[in-house]
Amino acid sequence: MTHHPAFRGSDQELLPAGHRVGEWTVTEPIGEGGWATVYAARRAGGTTAAAGPDDTGGAADTVALKVLPTAGLAPRQARQVAEAARRETELARTAPHPRLVRLLDSLTLSAPDHPALDGAVVLVMERARGTLRDLLATGVDEDRGGRIIAGICEGLAHLHRSGWVHTDLKPENVLIGPDGEVRLSDFGLAVELTGTHGHCAPMGTPDYLPPERWKEPLGEHGIKIRSTADIWALGIVIHEVFAAGVPPFPGATPTARGAAAQQYAEGRADLRLAAAVPPFWRALAADCLAPTHAARAPHTAESLLARIRAHQAGHRPRRRRPRPRTALVALAACASAAVTAALWPDPGPAAHPSRVRVFNAERSCQDRADRDPRCSLGLAVDPLRPYTADNVVPTRVWHGDLLDADCQLPAGLPVIDEEDRTSTLWYRVHLPGPTTAWLPAVRTKDRPTLLRCP
Amino acid sequence: MSGILVHLPEGNGDEAVTLRLGPGERARFGRGSAGTPVELRLGDETVSRLAGEIHATDDHWQLSNLSSTHAYLVENPEGAGEYLRVPPRRIGAPIPFEFSRVVLPSRRETPLCFQVFAPDHVYLDPHARGAGSWESRTMTAYSLDETATYFLVLVALCEPWLRDRSPAAVPTTPQVVARLRGHPACARLTPRAVSSHLDYLADEKLRIDLPDDAARADRRNGKREAVVGLALKFGIVREEHLALLPRPDAVEPGR
Repeated sequence: MTHHPAFRGSDQELLPAGHRVGEWTVTEPIGEGGWATVYAARRAGGTTAAAGPDDTGGAADTVALKVLPTAGLAPRQARQVAEAARRETELARTAPHPRLVRLLDSLTLSAPDHPALDGAVVLVMERARGTLRDLLATGVDEDRGGRIIAGICEGLAHLHRSGWVHTDLKPENVLIGPDGEVRLSDFGLAVELTGTHGHCAPMGTPDYLPPERWKEPLGEHGIKIRSTADIWALGIVIHEVFAAGVPPFPGATPTARGAAAQQYAEGRADLRLAAAVPPFWRALAADCLAPTHAARAPHTAESLLARIRAHQAGHRPRRRRPRPRTALVALAACASAAVTAALWPDPGPAAHPSRVRVFNAERSCQDRADRDPRCSLGLAVDPLRPYTADNVVPTRVWHGDLLDADCQLPAGLPVIDEEDRTSTLWYRVHLPGPTTAWLPAVRTKDRPTLLRCP
Repeated sequence: MSGILVHLPEGNGDEAVTLRLGPGERARFGRGSAGTPVELRLGDETVSRLAGEIHATDDHWQLSNLSSTHAYLVENPEGAGEYLRVPPRRIGAPIPFEFSRVVLPSRRETPLCFQVFAPDHVYLDPHARGAGSWESRTMTAYSLDETATYFLVLVALCEPWLRDRSPAAVPTTPQVVARLRGHPACARLTPRAVSSHLDYLADEKLRIDLPDDAARADRRNGKREAVVGLALKFGIVREEHLALLPRPDAVEPGR
């Protein structure tokens, strides 16, 4: 293969930390894609008056800068980059939604000392905590996975309703926002439909392309694309979420898996989804992975979302807290007890009650003192029963509250927090009045030495 | 992943046959008989009734040699003599070439052979980068082998646009032959070969959608223009690829 070093070398150049882009200062590169490099950045000049009580905490002071260089590119490629940037801004402008990554600004980079980057398009976006791909590497339980898929469906339903197709849905492009919720991102290939379909450039990620795509002819405007392409990709993502990142089609390479998908679509092989995928999600993935556009068409993002909502309502009674976000997640499996022991080594018994400070992992709740109900945390009546609405005491607690703990239960119901730490340790705490309740250990950073509860 | 194309030229004891095999599909070849049906009939008495099998898999194909005495050769016609030898009774030998000529021993003067095309081979985009796994990168869905003759033909066709971007006529087949003559791989390139490369690009690699109503001659011109237009539009051929062509001054005067 012939390489042209002159055309590759310039790609490697990065903005140094401290470089000023508009009102932002680059901190470090956090990712690279086909056309762009993404940097973390913070508001230049340090603290501003912006962090008021209604602000989302410190989140607004750190952003992600997506830098799309155009210098050194052939005119046609530069046009493609500009076109990708235009689509991203257009979509953000016309169809904003809580499940789509928020575009804060777009500007042109001035970097005379870095000719390869001078004139690059910069998209300023809200900073995410990470991608779904990162999360898959650490493992996602059924409840969390379900919320993520529901979030993706909300985003897709909104996109499709607004007449857009994402065309490049994959775990890399599903970001997890500072609040732990899904943000779909990377709309550089998104297509606005005219009628039932649109046309897109012949680009994609092989593992997520629907089987009909391999046969779709290339016309003057590109390849015909319909919203069912996103639904197929969603089916692949559902499988990956519940099968520890393993794609549904067998094969060692994306091309081998593409061939296997083709074999399935042509009826020469059955769909064999991993047994690890829970039945409800397996059925959902199978519908998303219906072999043809026509068979997939009835399964719109909207209808899939309705099924997920019904499933979630049937499984879990509504929490008392109004936020859609589940702060504490009861794990169905009990296998994590051993892990817990390693995470929270038993400090040995002590006799005296001890104070613990409540910790809310939600950063936007840490700085506020207004006791907003959305930032409140619950305490359990019984740490051995599932953490559902009827197992929560009426008293709420907030970040920073001090509680008196008098004993601990090392093997209560496993709980995972927003950082995906699992713990089965609970503290019995005293509430005003002669009552007690149970605080999961993930809700405090304190590790008091307490006797085991009777 | 559209599978592979098997082409048996006329004159191997039978008329020309073209088979398209999707991933996972198989085709048997051999002399055949009422009891041993074959999809690819080679009417030569030196060939066994069931001589072998082709199996399309992943982005390539496998060759099973069902003969107990003869080895088969798989040549890469673009590989400067590159070939594989598949020994007798070898099952499922993976074939890495995009273009292959399978040669079976024969007592005739011309060897018995058929061609297999594997257009699904995937190449990373030249500008692809990123710290993540290459497997989950967004890439051009049509990847072309930039070292293949078909790519040289495509660059030669696109050259007038890439040089001055004026709406010039797409070079004709004889012009492409003349333009590439100075290239070591194209010294013996024939107009007919250029036409086949163009068909392969349009039909198998880019899968270009052409209106059906055009007359045959218009179709060929239309195909040529469509290939050039789309290759430029979607950045499949770019300015940097001009370096692959022989230096323009090596072209005969009067082109």
